[in-house]
Amino acid sequence: MQGLSTTTKHPTPAERGLRAGWWTYRRRQQLWGFLFALPAVILFAVFAIYPILQTFYLSFFDFNLVDPPQFVGLRNFETILTTSAFRDSIAFTFRYAFGTYIPTLVLALALALALNTKLPGRSVLRMVNFIPVVISWVIVAVVWKLIFHQNGLMNVFLSSLGLYTPDWLLSRDWAPYAIIIPSIWKEIGFYMVIFLAGLQNIPTVYYEAGKIDGTSAWQAFRYITLPLLRPTIVLAIVISIINGLKIFIPPFVMTQGGPAGSTRVMALIIYQTAFANGRMGRASAMAVMLFLIILLFTLIQNRLYGTGRDVEA
Amino acid sequence: MTNSRSPLRIALFVGIVIQTVLMMVPLFYMLSTSFKAQNEVFTLPIQWIPSQFLIENYTQPLQEKPFLRWFFNSTFVATASTALVVLTSSLAGYSFAKFRYPGRNLLFWIIIATLMIPLEAMIVPLFVLVRDLGWLNTYTGLIIPAGGSAFGIFLMRQHMLSMPDELIEAARIDGASEPYIFWRIVLPINQPALSALAIFSFMWNWNSFLYPLLVASTDEMRTLPIGLASFESAYSTNYPQLMAVSVLACIPVLIVFFILQNRFIESMALTGVKG
Repeated sequence: MQGLSTTTKHPTPAERGLRAGWWTYRRRQQLWGFLFALPAVILFAVFAIYPILQTFYLSFFDFNLVDPPQFVGLRNFETILTTSAFRDSIAFTFRYAFGTYIPTLVLALALALALNTKLPGRSVLRMVNFIPVVISWVIVAVVWKLIFHQNGLMNVFLSSLGLYTPDWLLSRDWAPYAIIIPSIWKEIGFYMVIFLAGLQNIPTVYYEAGKIDGTSAWQAFRYITLPLLRPTIVLAIVISIINGLKIFIPPFVMTQGGPAGSTRVMALIIYQTAFANGRMGRASAMAVMLFLIILLFTLIQNRLYGTGRDVEA
Repeated sequence: MTNSRSPLRIALFVGIVIQTVLMMVPLFYMLSTSFKAQNEVFTLPIQWIPSQFLIENYTQPLQEKPFLRWFFNSTFVATASTALVVLTSSLAGYSFAKFRYPGRNLLFWIIIATLMIPLEAMIVPLFVLVRDLGWLNTYTGLIIPAGGSAFGIFLMRQHMLSMPDELIEAARIDGASEPYIFWRIVLPINQPALSALAIFSFMWNWNSFLYPLLVASTDEMRTLPIGLASFESAYSTNYPQLMAVSVLACIPVLIVFFILQNRFIESMALTGVKG
């Protein structure tokens, strides 16, 4: 629309006699527009659209990278859904996502509320709390693996309090927490920043009006902050759960999915099925399941947040 | 809410300071262990300051494994992918915001829809594709497939929509070519968005793990995170050396973070919402 209306205001290059006619000019503009989009379009076609379609295709085949794929119909799906390994993996992945991000978001919100007040040195406190976010996940996993060693920092701390000291990484019951606790530590700072941004968007007039009416700090939080922060909180929940469902590095580095599969998240079982066991078709079927689960959460997000309308604007 | 000297505020402040110090304990543990002798790691009570500082923990791994090469690989791959991401995103964002041609909206929506596809769900075909292209263990294989960002395209398009058309039209009337307009007018105007995208993209690539794990299997083509993970699995009980290389791998990121901190946090917040 813009292009058309402005060409009527100003003389087009065509009118100035640079090119044959208005139609040629329009064609050329269309061509330039398409050319500018082309590098991205090619990259996405080759490295995103083709691979995901191929994932669906391969999920119906038996494929080991060497021999040509053999069509097996739905057998891969039958196998993964009837054996406990993959079902356990789905269950643990959800347990990880919610077990990590519910505490993370609660703590991050508390931290954001505290650091949104005029505390001395709050920008330093914010910055320090953000440090774990920028440190690469591999380093975080390597360090926490030592912390959760039988004689590591965590058990030294627990025994000094006279508490039970599990062998975290070798126990089916405790290994999940050895993956979840470092994740909380790493992610708090990120969601703190998201919540701080949300809090700063709440106009102070609401609080001033509340003060005149004599609201307590709790009432201000309950009836002003929380409702106005709701979109941010909803968005943070959905995004963090989606990220949690895709987690790979901490179990890969710390436990390799063990002991006895108790920390084998979906991304890890896909990777191991494909590259350790060489069952590409079965891994693709698992990948289809992961894709559908993530898709479901993304659709929920769009429903709740209406990103579609934002893009249109 | 309450005045600045109230006991509640002092308690809050003390609480936050304690919490913040606790957040740093793992990193201090890493630093402290990195200087210890192997038999000192688990001695009780914990020695936060080692009895002696063993610099060999730092120098020995560097001789045994090509850490410098891994560092170079990460830097090179992240820089090149970031340059590609910035270029392809700004070109496509400009195209989707300011040009009209058949299929434009369809292309835009297909690219945005790929945000829903987790990389974890396409590792098998991606590996086969990169293998068939002959790109395993090459820089091309590490860089090119990471050269497009749906989020980047979305971000640039949103910024370019608010760019006045008159500016572009005026340049066209002056006879400027389309590439010239893009390079000399469109890119400079959108510089803040470009640098936010660059910071985000560099961080993302620098920490990228699963994709380089598929593509780089030889020692000399590994990026730093992959190299570190391979070192970890080979030397999993030499804790002082493991912590020493972790400290080394932290340092560049932390330096960049301290220099750019505010821009960094802003771009993480900006991009994290959609990333």
